[in-house]
Amino acid sequence: MNDPISRAQFLRLTALSAFLFVVSSDAWASENEITRPMILNDPETPTGGNPNGDLTIVDFFDYNCPYCKLAAKSLEKIVKTDGNIRLVYRDWPILAETSIIGARLALAAKYQGQYLPVHHALMDIPGYGVSQEQMMEAVRNAGLDLAQLDTDIARHADDIAGLIKRNLNIAQAIGLQGTPGFLIGPYRVNEALNEQGFMRVVADARARQKTK
Amino acid sequence: MLYVRILGFVSLLLSLIGGAAAGAAGVKSPDEVFRLHAERTDSGGVKLGWIIAPGHYLYRDRIAAVVNGRPVRIDTEPGESKDDPNFGPTEIYRQSAGAVVAPEPVSAGGRLIVTYQGCAENTLCYPPISKSVDLSTLLVEDAPERDSDPAPPTQVAKEQRQAAGASVPAATVGIQSESATLLGQSLFSTLAAFVGFGILLSLTPCVFPMIPIMSGMLARSGGDLSARRSFILSAAYVLAMAAAYGTLGIFAAWSGENLQAALQTPVAIVSMSTVFALLALSMFGIYELQLPQSWTSRLAAKAGNRGSVGGAVVLGFGSALIVGPCVTPPLAAVLVFVAQTGQVMRGSLALFALGLGMGLPLVAFGVLGAKVLPRSGPWLARVKHIFGFIFIALSIWMISRVASARLVAAAWGALFFAIGSYSILSFVRASRRRLPEFAAVAIGALAIVCGGALIVGAGTATYGLLRPLETVGLITDPANASAYKDGFRVATSEAKLEDAIRAGRMQGRAIMVDFSAEWCTECKLMERNVFSQEAVRQKLREVIPVRVDVTAFDRESKNLMKRFAVVGPPTIVFLNPDGTESQEGRVVGDIGMSGFLSKLETVLR
Repeated sequence: MNDPISRAQFLRLTALSAFLFVVSSDAWASENEITRPMILNDPETPTGGNPNGDLTIVDFFDYNCPYCKLAAKSLEKIVKTDGNIRLVYRDWPILAETSIIGARLALAAKYQGQYLPVHHALMDIPGYGVSQEQMMEAVRNAGLDLAQLDTDIARHADDIAGLIKRNLNIAQAIGLQGTPGFLIGPYRVNEALNEQGFMRVVADARARQKTK
Repeated sequence: MLYVRILGFVSLLLSLIGGAAAGAAGVKSPDEVFRLHAERTDSGGVKLGWIIAPGHYLYRDRIAAVVNGRPVRIDTEPGESKDDPNFGPTEIYRQSAGAVVAPEPVSAGGRLIVTYQGCAENTLCYPPISKSVDLSTLLVEDAPERDSDPAPPTQVAKEQRQAAGASVPAATVGIQSESATLLGQSLFSTLAAFVGFGILLSLTPCVFPMIPIMSGMLARSGGDLSARRSFILSAAYVLAMAAAYGTLGIFAAWSGENLQAALQTPVAIVSMSTVFALLALSMFGIYELQLPQSWTSRLAAKAGNRGSVGGAVVLGFGSALIVGPCVTPPLAAVLVFVAQTGQVMRGSLALFALGLGMGLPLVAFGVLGAKVLPRSGPWLARVKHIFGFIFIALSIWMISRVASARLVAAAWGALFFAIGSYSILSFVRASRRRLPEFAAVAIGALAIVCGGALIVGAGTATYGLLRPLETVGLITDPANASAYKDGFRVATSEAKLEDAIRAGRMQGRAIMVDFSAEWCTECKLMERNVFSQEAVRQKLREVIPVRVDVTAFDRESKNLMKRFAVVGPPTIVFLNPDGTESQEGRVVGDIGMSGFLSKLETVLR
């Protein structure tokens, strides 16, 4: 018998490669598939508004986008007065280098339950060329545990990068050209709207959801 | 069929949300809005000019230039000052803008990368746009995505304040690169995925031709082949095969072209189909398939009696190219993926991993097979015959993409008939009749019934009988729809499409632009299941149907796809009679007849 590999070993090898395949195909799937539930119900994505609302709005924004900041104000007002809208925040940092920094800060604040204060602080900085210093200053004044924030940025770096990556993929997949972008029920809106605009699309979206 | 899956999901998604994209159709791509051109100045510098669509503007301080990887000074004209409480004072350009790069940095030639950024007034802001200007021809094209440096660490706590402030990057050029890093997957998971993918591929019949090749190699090396030796030989064989794929990956990444299209042209399909038919004939012993005598003798001389590693390497490299055509669809998907990422090293490694995965079972076979290598006997002949049938099936399956459905059905029928007769004949001749033989004869009888039905179906042109085949994907038939190809105007360039739009304007009819390609199986399904249905044809008389054929995937078709921001076929875009895109949205992917009809209904309303 000059056979160094036994059948049992071979079987083990086969099992290993099968396992490798399953694991890797899983990894593959999670990295590339974009599904509607993934857009609306990604557990890592910060949300606002009424969690049980009958309509979900997904907001794609950038902290260097002046129109996002304008539109966000109108949108938050609508969400508040309507009371039955769920809002999903998708950080989509595409406009400038500091946009990514802002997105990281806000998403890291999520781990201490302070996403919205940081998000609002960053959205309140006017203009399109916000510096890193301005962002830091705003975050420092947002009233959260800064040491914890630093720890979370380091500890969850991969999760945050993964989420931002997913957001980039989704925005690309649904064909958004620039910021801001909104998914309002079945509608895709790739422009800043004012309050009336949001109200109209929200009404249309509800009407369409009913007919379906 | 990875890309199909991804595309499938995106299509699903688009069909879900794209139903009626309010305002989305009005959003122009940045390239439509900001048109860049370049010319030489008298002194030898480069003058850049932008034409800006109405309602849009560029930021002056967002214009930057890099020559051959180094940032250079770019002189811009003063812009219109926009003092908005939301912006702070800033300078912008409307309608047009100009900038000059001095002669010194651009005198040596190379590439000038220009980055700029702008917005649509009050509605949206575009990400930075990078264009590459060839300094010898001054042609403007999309800039390649850069590999990026890791993002600077962000620290917010007060004590690190200084350090954080110091790492603020000044340039705006690197944004897309940051996104690219974020988009990039970890190398390990990519490679693991490709190994797994390769193992899966090895389960397809495509790899079977490699088994005789390899067992032949091992057999040639003499009777007393140690498992160690056969492991080395088969490993060398498999590594060489993987290397062949890796090389293919390098070419794919370099060319960046759609190899899928190239591999799926009718000529390529017919020749692959022929190769398989020939292989099948050899399996039935019509002739012996051998390398030319001179090659074999040279190989044998080199290999001696023991089978050399070098010989195994040569064989492995060669077989990869032999089997290549058969695994085309998945391979093409991988190649497209590689070509799109444009990362040579990564793409090459990924394909190498794929080849490795495909080869692993072969190595196992080589090692274990040392004991069970085919010794001649009647069973071996039968195995060869089975392979023969499989090859014929592959041949028919391939040709079905270009041949008429009737012909294909007849061919399938004949094949089933032959399989049935074969197994019954061997049952009659068999000396022992036990369970396996009875099972074989039962299958044979079934095959005859099936084959007879198919032949009758082909004869009477009753396509209903072909349905089962279609559902399992045995035939993808363009012929049924080809009769109505006349109904579609075929456009391969923007000029031809403009003709159609003009015709639409004159007749006041809407235009349906269908992006399709020969290699797109989903398009073929749509042609058969949707466009050739009577109800749809009735309805289509109200529009001008135009088919944009992107089979060639050349510059023209790419431009057409870009113009409508089409990701890939099948996509149907509806244009109003005035040439603007319909607000009712588009159809991406096969949505079935009823879905298509209701869509058409809303568009025409």
